Amino acid sequence: MLACARLAALQQLEYRFNLIADTLIQPFIVSLIEMTIWIAFFASSGQTSLAGFDRSHYLAYALWAGFISRVSTSWMYESMMIDDVESGTINSVLVRPISFFEYYLGQLMGYKVLTTSISLIAPIVVCLFLDLPVQLSRLPLALVLVFYYLVLVHILSIVIASLGFFFTRVHHLTVAKNITLWMLTGEFFPLDIAPEPFKSILIALPFSSAVFRPIGYMTGRLPVEEIFFGFISVTCGIAVLGPISILMWNAGRRRYSGTGA
Amino acid sequence: MIKTILKYCGLFFSFFKASLISELEYRFNIGARIVTDILWYVAQLSVFEVLFRHTTSLNGWSLVETRVFMGCLFVTDAIFMMLFSENLDRMGEKIRKGDLDLLLVKPINSQWMLSFQKVSVAYLGNLCIALCWLTWALTKINEFNWLNVGWLLITIPIGLVITYSIRFMVASMALFYTRADAVTYIWYQLYRLGTRPDNLYPAFLRYAVLSVLPVAFLASVPAQILLGKTGPEWLIWGFFVAGVSLSFSTLVWNRGLKVYSSVSS
Repeated sequence: MLACARLAALQQLEYRFNLIADTLIQPFIVSLIEMTIWIAFFASSGQTSLAGFDRSHYLAYALWAGFISRVSTSWMYESMMIDDVESGTINSVLVRPISFFEYYLGQLMGYKVLTTSISLIAPIVVCLFLDLPVQLSRLPLALVLVFYYLVLVHILSIVIASLGFFFTRVHHLTVAKNITLWMLTGEFFPLDIAPEPFKSILIALPFSSAVFRPIGYMTGRLPVEEIFFGFISVTCGIAVLGPISILMWNAGRRRYSGTGA
Repeated sequence: MIKTILKYCGLFFSFFKASLISELEYRFNIGARIVTDILWYVAQLSVFEVLFRHTTSLNGWSLVETRVFMGCLFVTDAIFMMLFSENLDRMGEKIRKGDLDLLLVKPINSQWMLSFQKVSVAYLGNLCIALCWLTWALTKINEFNWLNVGWLLITIPIGLVITYSIRFMVASMALFYTRADAVTYIWYQLYRLGTRPDNLYPAFLRYAVLSVLPVAFLASVPAQILLGKTGPEWLIWGFFVAGVSLSFSTLVWNRGLKVYSSVSS
């Protein structure tokens, strides 16, 4: 798996402009758009705080959400997995002495370690420059939760790739899944300002560990106990989705005839 | 001239028919596309629905007006996705793999052919949903002048031409650089600038989305004219920007073709 991770990192370094766009330019634009909404909100609502936190907290949240959400999603590798099933190139992975799950998990993690180490420089610098309320000492634990959450994301990718054995063209499911996760993770707004009962449900789901919990913890919105609850929640998600992904994968492989789904 | 227009209309009808047959082959994919776009609508709406629970106005936009803005965005986006999205998304790959050669030898405008070859028929469903949402949102506006809806027949095509032109220029970068995926990804983020009313942005960004990167014409300007928040004089600027954008996209395409050297340009 380490070799796969190294391979993914090297592949990314081959196209450096793509890497910079992916890790810095794109998340920066997302953060900029979301920050402007919060500036407009506090300028026109006349309020100085929302749910007990002031403008700077929301700006810090919006800034980090753009970057952390890039780390906690899997577009590229999920698309590659679907392509493999659709076109039949999965054969070359199946004959290797490593499982399909491990092969792509290794690559995903290698890619994410590389992109995270580059991408997080920008929000750290902006936070220090604008003096936004972020406790950087909390960053390592928050990142551990995000990387643990990536295992759950990868299991979801396996589920979607498995559907490719049955329906052939399933690329749109990746888009549908990732758009759904935008809402569930707290990328657009902190989940605790959503109305009840959505608020309680969204926070309890493991997907809140992608953006809301780590950034909430870093910005002082959430105590450390919430991070630990995040680990438990993600573990429950893995326990539920893991067996489903195995069953679907095995059922799909039985249908597969080796010439593309 | 009329003969040429009829020829292109006939071709478009043929493309539409071929796309419909091809899409009906994968019915699950059609359903998935419609659901995906509905999810995107819900995601966009959720931001404002949550924010307006804590305020009554965002830089002069009320909740009901924001819903109209979203309606305009969904309608324009559905038409764009139906006509251009798939064609322009695949343009880079066609150029890289040399498939463009087949199009260049045909006795038809290559830019037109590349832009309209595939019609994503599934998005007709989304267009209906978007129109229903927009109509519902307009019924919630107090004393709305329904004659203003007529402006949409001008503002939405202007927005489409501008968005198409910028997206086409971005896709044409593949002619100059073999791999221009990163530029395409940046485009998707810049497109997001058009998914918010331009009044929300600070002055420098507002000027940008109305001039150098005119994504405000995607939904913000149409919604403001529809709601009477701004005068139709913006249409003159819109026509100018659309004309310049389209001409510039053709210029970039023709320049690109000069450096294109077939497979692996």
